[in-house]
Amino acid sequence: MRRGDPALGAVAALALGLYALFIVVPLGMSAWKSLTDENPLLAQANFVGLANYRDMVHDDALTSSLTFTLLLAGAVTLVANAAGIGFALLLNRTSLSFRAMRTVAFLPQVLSGVIVGFVWRYILAQDGILNEVLVRTGIVDRPITWLGSPLLASFSVGLVAAWVLTGFTTVVHVAALQSIPVELHQAAIVDGAGPWQRFRRITLPMLAPGTTISVTISLITMLKLYDIIVALTSGGPANATQSTALYIVKLAFTDDRFGYASGVAMLLLVVSAVVALSVTGLLRRREVDL
Amino acid sequence: MTLTETRPRAGAPTTSAPDRRRRAWAARGHLTAAGLLTLAFVSPIYLTVVNAFKTQDQIIRSPSAPPVPPTTQNLTDALGRSDKIIQIGLANSAVTVLVSVLLIIPLGAAFSFWLTRRPARFRRIVLAVFAAGLMIPPAVVLLPTIRILTFLHLDHTYPGLILANVGGGYLSFAVFVYSGFLRSIPHEIVEAAEVDGAGRLRTWWTIVMPLLRPATATVAIFLSLWIWNDFMNPQFILGPLRGQTITTGLYLSLGQYTTNYAQLFGVMFLAAILPVAGYLALQKQFVAGLSTGATK
Amino acid sequence: MRHNRLLAAWLTAGLALLAGCSAASPEGASGGATLTYLTFETPSLTASFWDTSIANASKKVSGVTIKKLVAPSTDRDAYAKQLQASGQFPDLLQSITPSTFAQAGLLKPYDQAWVDANFLLPLGNAYKGKVYIPPTNSQIIPMVFYNKTLFARAGITAPPKTWAEFLTVCDKLKKAGVTPIELGGGEPFAASMPLSGILSADVLGKNPQWLQDRYAGKVKFADANVQTAVAKYRTLVKNGYFETGALGVKYADSITNFTAGKAAMYMMGSWFLGSVPKDHADDFGSFMTPTDDGSLVVPFAVGGSMAISAKTAAPDKATEFAQAWSLDPGNYKALIEGDGAFPMLKGKTLADYNVTVTQVFKDSYAYVGEQNNKVSSFGWATNDDSMPSGLNDAYYAASQALFGSDDVAGQMAKLDAAWNAATK
Repeated sequence: MRRGDPALGAVAALALGLYALFIVVPLGMSAWKSLTDENPLLAQANFVGLANYRDMVHDDALTSSLTFTLLLAGAVTLVANAAGIGFALLLNRTSLSFRAMRTVAFLPQVLSGVIVGFVWRYILAQDGILNEVLVRTGIVDRPITWLGSPLLASFSVGLVAAWVLTGFTTVVHVAALQSIPVELHQAAIVDGAGPWQRFRRITLPMLAPGTTISVTISLITMLKLYDIIVALTSGGPANATQSTALYIVKLAFTDDRFGYASGVAMLLLVVSAVVALSVTGLLRRREVDL
Repeated sequence: MTLTETRPRAGAPTTSAPDRRRRAWAARGHLTAAGLLTLAFVSPIYLTVVNAFKTQDQIIRSPSAPPVPPTTQNLTDALGRSDKIIQIGLANSAVTVLVSVLLIIPLGAAFSFWLTRRPARFRRIVLAVFAAGLMIPPAVVLLPTIRILTFLHLDHTYPGLILANVGGGYLSFAVFVYSGFLRSIPHEIVEAAEVDGAGRLRTWWTIVMPLLRPATATVAIFLSLWIWNDFMNPQFILGPLRGQTITTGLYLSLGQYTTNYAQLFGVMFLAAILPVAGYLALQKQFVAGLSTGATK
Repeated sequence: MRHNRLLAAWLTAGLALLAGCSAASPEGASGGATLTYLTFETPSLTASFWDTSIANASKKVSGVTIKKLVAPSTDRDAYAKQLQASGQFPDLLQSITPSTFAQAGLLKPYDQAWVDANFLLPLGNAYKGKVYIPPTNSQIIPMVFYNKTLFARAGITAPPKTWAEFLTVCDKLKKAGVTPIELGGGEPFAASMPLSGILSADVLGKNPQWLQDRYAGKVKFADANVQTAVAKYRTLVKNGYFETGALGVKYADSITNFTAGKAAMYMMGSWFLGSVPKDHADDFGSFMTPTDDGSLVVPFAVGGSMAISAKTAAPDKATEFAQAWSLDPGNYKALIEGDGAFPMLKGKTLADYNVTVTQVFKDSYAYVGEQNNKVSSFGWATNDDSMPSGLNDAYYAASQALFGSDDVAGQMAKLDAAWNAATK
């Protein structure tokens, strides 16, 4: 009888209901709409079967946005986590100055993507501060168009995203490092293990669970990435930095192609799920091997 | 990497004098390297702060110089805009965050507690479904969410935005954190209360919630930050008709043509100051929240 | 059970707060209509221009409160669609392209008699015979603006008439160490200006019906004549007549670069006339994008003020406001002086608007009154020659892509594919 306490059950049902209403039902609606040619301008939609999915095969814009999204997610996850581990190792001291450094290292995570995008747009502008520094120190002779060529703009988006994520990966890895018992290292020293061996045999395996979390969250964040890109490049130039999230929004809200946009949304969902689950699975298995 | 040579807390028991000196130098080098790298890393934030207190002329002449003499003109200008973007934005964001988090916490906690006593298989399935909520890109559910809110006559309203926040991926996060913490609470404590004849709801409120305080801190802190910084939901679900949140207001008012950097940095500084101050004040809890996530 | 009540109180408080915020933002002010008005800002159409013009027009209409919305970029069509798709179509929409919206029955046409009575070209921007936007002003998009001092320094005595002369001019400028053409390529629409000039001159100049024919499927972007025209743009890029980093230049900066004498020519809509520096205005002149045989083609677009939503709750008040705004002399003065608008009110000369304008404005405005080969401005027409929904975006993207890529055929094939998808 206690198991069925109606009051608690009611609160739980409310939570389940809300979740269903705003996650489960929308997913179902997206799946259904992806089989129609719904256009918000014309208040009607026809069932078109798998036509939207067939169209995706020939959609160059989709191919390039998906390629961009996946490459960006992969590269940024890799860079941000490598940088995070390095940064964590560097900052993992107890003195006050190191604690202060760890505090500020997380700051990029606290700012909204819009602010991050605007600040970096200022830094990376043709006449921006980065070019000024590079030219003045003689590293380059003429300003680099960080946001002006498709390739460089893609790189710049990656750079900014990696900057933001490194704040997160650093703090996660610092936490993981601090959970390593000092005795393990002391025992290893007694056994005559060198610094590299200790890093390889103790630090790395003990970091692994933290890395798994950090990599998974980095990937998920990157596959969703929207606000930073909107503020930094709006997807340009020549749509080179149009992530799939941006493409879905453009299809739905400016091209009036709800049906097709829903199809692309389903594709992004499947791709995100496959990437995130397989990478997490892989890392979990590696944790055991280490 | 030199990092491994200066591994922390791994000191050998006895050392000779030259060894100690070498070590002291290494420590100093380490501190310098870490300091320089950290400075480079946060330089974009440094730029935002110093340029918020400089005139347009000062910014163009020397963008990285400290603000000497400092001016508060940018901040006054930002607060004096005719669209009141800062004041309105901050107020709207504050209400949205506050109400969303106040609703998500009891819902998430009570639901997670209810879940602990369900059969293991049911629990696993439900948690898997909620895990999906963390992973789904918001762009995927955006369109139908607007349709559902339109159906409920809550489209483009704050209650609509808040409801979408409460029911969406944020709830998933709360359920995950609470479920993780609940696993560490001994069943006996809860059962003892129930033997006393307390109802489940009462047990949850009087016994479980106090035990979950660290989890509640984590949930409250992170959700506040995320909802505060959210861009896509306010942009589309709320839209421009009911006034902006600070994020969308910032985006719209600093659109494409701002070469008035003094104004740009003034507005950005005011928009960022609250979450940054919050983080600095609560950084212990921030780190604690991340640590439990990282090491569990 | 006290605690149950406490929880209940908590949840109720939350829900009450939720309800409270809806109460805090009521539907419209009491008494009279609140109308939403979508505007956009440019370096010359600033927030204060909109605020003033709204205040002035509001004074002439009783019981109307205007709520200004600002599009996040100059692409107000995209933003209007975003608002429509998320169920918040504004009551009034400044300078949008009516076609897509009119097709869906979202716009209310103006009373033709009122339009006929007030404007020089009443059907100048009509879509399928109806006027959705009062044809208050016209534009030439783009013109080639040039700096006379820099031309003289490079030994150029007269603006070019033919394409061959144009290339010679560019070459001389480059040899003289002057950047021949300024391009604000960071902004998609600004990046497309040279291409719009060339396509208007070469493709529409020869076949003014080209866009109609494209709708009918009689012609394609992949056709040889279009590709030849686009190849001219590639020639400009490859010969280094733009700055290498032009795609990174912000639109606002491109204006200041050109007016400060950092480049000799600037292909931009006639609204640039509003940004010509008053203190050395005589340094600047304008000509049309040259054609192969030197014949004059004027890429012309009748613009205008605001469209009215068919769904507005107060159609009469909305129309009243829109008409007041569209005839307000103060707006004409501001638009002519600040945005280089060519006024199109019936029976008025420039002197009637009480404006101070530059010589280059007068020279440019002369094209409007003259008998010449006016064609729709490619990508800018708001009449039957406007491109389908989403095509402007694709066209801008192609312009940016062609700055760095030689794949003319590939980009044109993409445009054809986008056109087909949009008109399916």
